[in-house]
Amino acid sequence: MNIFCILIVPVVLAVLPAVIKRPKTLGVLNAVGYLLVLLGFSWFILKATLPVSFFKLFYIDSLSAFFIFTISIVTFATALFSIDYIERDVTSLLISRNRARAYYTLFNLFSLSMFLVPMATNLAMVWVAIEMTTLTSAFLVGFYNTKASVEAAWKYIIICSVGIIFALFGTIIFYYAASNVGVKSLNWLDMVSAGKGMDKNLIKIAFLFILVGYGTKAGLAPMHTWLPDAHSQAISPISALLSGVLLKIAIYAILRFAVITNKCVGVEFSSKLFVMFGLVSLGISAGFIIIQKHMKRLLAYHSIEHMGIISLGLGFGGVIGAYGALFHVLNHAVTKSLMFFGAANIIKKYKKDNMNMIKGVISSMPFTGVMFILGMFSLIGMPPFSIFFSELLILMAGFGKGLYLASGLYLFFIVIIFGAVLYHFSNVLFGCKPIDMAVEKECTSVKITFVFLFILMTALGIAMPGFLNRILMSSIAILQGV
Amino acid sequence: MYIFLIGIIIMAYSMVTAKRMMSLIASFRIQSVFLFLATLFMAMKEKSPELYIVAGLLLLLKVILIPNFLSNIVKKLKMNEGIGMFLNPLVSLLIAVFLTYLSYMFTTRIIAFKAEAQVISFAVSLSVTMIGLFIMIFRMKALSQVIGFLVMENGLFLAASALAGGMPFFVEIAIFMDVFVSVIIFGMFIYKINKLFTHIDVSKLNTLRR
Repeated sequence: MNIFCILIVPVVLAVLPAVIKRPKTLGVLNAVGYLLVLLGFSWFILKATLPVSFFKLFYIDSLSAFFIFTISIVTFATALFSIDYIERDVTSLLISRNRARAYYTLFNLFSLSMFLVPMATNLAMVWVAIEMTTLTSAFLVGFYNTKASVEAAWKYIIICSVGIIFALFGTIIFYYAASNVGVKSLNWLDMVSAGKGMDKNLIKIAFLFILVGYGTKAGLAPMHTWLPDAHSQAISPISALLSGVLLKIAIYAILRFAVITNKCVGVEFSSKLFVMFGLVSLGISAGFIIIQKHMKRLLAYHSIEHMGIISLGLGFGGVIGAYGALFHVLNHAVTKSLMFFGAANIIKKYKKDNMNMIKGVISSMPFTGVMFILGMFSLIGMPPFSIFFSELLILMAGFGKGLYLASGLYLFFIVIIFGAVLYHFSNVLFGCKPIDMAVEKECTSVKITFVFLFILMTALGIAMPGFLNRILMSSIAILQGV
Repeated sequence: MYIFLIGIIIMAYSMVTAKRMMSLIASFRIQSVFLFLATLFMAMKEKSPELYIVAGLLLLLKVILIPNFLSNIVKKLKMNEGIGMFLNPLVSLLIAVFLTYLSYMFTTRIIAFKAEAQVISFAVSLSVTMIGLFIMIFRMKALSQVIGFLVMENGLFLAASALAGGMPFFVEIAIFMDVFVSVIIFGMFIYKINKLFTHIDVSKLNTLRR
C-alpha cells in the first residue's frame, strides 16, 4: 500500500506553497518529501513481490518499478539542488517570492505526472499522463518569462502535442486491432495476451505511429527539434528532470507497445526501427555537438545522443542489448543531472552561457569544477564510471548479433562526440579565471547533491547491487514477452 | 451518417482556405457541430447512455467553450486581420484534396476493412487529422496552430468512434479533459507571447537559432 505514498507526497507538496510563504522552508520540505519517496520506494522493491496491482488502475511490474526508481532518484536530487538555486534566484531578485512558490507547485505537479506514467495499467491513461507532463513542464520551460524561454516553451508544447496526437492515433489502432480479436480493453496485460492473433499490417502501422509520436517526446532524431531549445531555456534544475527522466518516460511508453508488437509480428520489425532511429539520433547530435557554443545546449544535444544509444541497445536486442539499454537509462539519468547541476552553477557564477567566454572554472569554483570534470568523463564513457559499461554492453550486443555496420557507426559517432565534448569542456574548465572573480563556496545542500549523484554513478560502474540486477533481469523477461 | 462525414470534411477544407481568424474559428465550430451530430446519431442507434454523455461533453467543450475562448482571445488581442499564410488558399486547397486522396488510398490498400462505412469514416478521419497538421505547419499565427491541433484532435475522435465504436468511457472523458486543459494552457501562452513580442506570428519567433 505504501506505493500510494509516492503519489500522495507530490500532491501534498504541491498544495503546500499555498500555506507556507518562505521559499527556503518550502525547498527543504520538498527535498525531505522526495527523500522519503526514494527511501520508501527502495524499501518497496526490496520487500514486495512484483508485480502488484491496485484497483485495476495501477499495475507495477519490474519494468515500471525500474523506471519509478530512476524517477525517484532524479527528483530527489533535483529537489535538493533546487533549495539553494531558487533561494539565490530570489535574493538576486531574478524572480519574486510568489514565483518561487509557483515553482514548487509546478515542480510537484510535474513529478506527480511523471510518477503516474509507469504506474498506469491502461495504455490510454499512460497517454493522458504523458500529455500532463508536457502541460505542466511547459510552464517550467517558460519560467523566466523572457523572449527566448517563452519561445522555447511554445515550440515545446506545440511539437510535443502534435507528437502525442500521433501516439494517440497509434493507441487507437492498437485498440481496434485488439477489439477485432475480441479483447475490448486498453489494459496492457490483456493486449499482450491477445497479441498473437492481431492483424499484422495493422499493428505495424500502429507501432510506427507510436514510435513517431512518443519518439517526439523522447527526443529521437529527426523529431528532436524542440529538445535543445526547451532543455537550454528551462530553469536549470528542471533541465535535469527533463533530460534525466522525462525523455526516458516516453521510451517506457514505447517499450510497452513494443512488447505487444513483438508478440504479434516478431522482434525483427521493431529492432530495425530502433536501430534506424538510434543511428540517426547519434549522427545528428554528433554534428551539432561539434559546432555548439552554449553549454546547456551542448548538454541537450548530448541527451539526444544518449537517447539514440538507448534506442540502439533496444534495437540490437537480446538479453545483453536490452540490459545495456535499461542500465543506460539509469546511468544517463544520474550523470546528466549531475552535469546540468554543474552547468547551472557555472552559468550562475559567470552569468553567461557561451562557452567561449567562460574560462577557468576549476580555479574559480573548485568543488563544482572537479565534479564537472568527473561528470564529463562519465558522460563521454570513460571507465570506471557506469555509462562506460552500459555502452560497452550495447556494443557487445551489436557485434554479437553480427550488425557490424551499425555497431561500427555507433562506435564512430561516440568517438567523435567524445572528442568534441572533451574539447569544449576543457576550454571551459581550464585556463585563467577572470581576475576580479572571487572563489565560489558552494553551500552544503548543493555539495550533498553532487556527492550523492557522484557516488551513484561511480558505484554502479564498480559493482551492480543485487536488487537492481534482479529488477533489470525480470524487466528484460517482460520485454521479451516471457 | 455520410452526411455528417461530408460536413466534417468540407469544414476541414473551408478551414484550409479561410483567410481570417474569425472564419477559421467559425468553421471549427461547425465542424464540431457535425461531429456532435454524428456522435448523437450513433448514441441513438446504439441506445447507449455513455455515448449520450460523450456527445453532451462534445457539445459543451468543442462547440461552445473552446471556440468562445478562442474568439475571446482574438477580440482581446485585436488580431482578426489575417492568419498569415505560407501558401495561398488555392494551393492549400489542392494539397488538402491530395491529402484526402492519400488517406483514402492508405485506408483501402493497407488497412483491410470489411465494411464500406468503416473505410470511408476512417479515410475521412485520417484526412482531417492530416489537414489539421497541415494547418499547424503552414499558418503563421500561434492561434491558428492551436486550431490545427484541435482539428487533428477532431479527426482522432472520429477515428476512434469509426474504428472501435469509441474508446472506453472513462478514457474518452480523460482525453476530453486533457484537450480542454491544453487549450487553456495554449491560450495562456498566446497571451504571454503577445505581451513579450507584441505579435503572435510564429514565423517571426527566431531568437533561438541553433
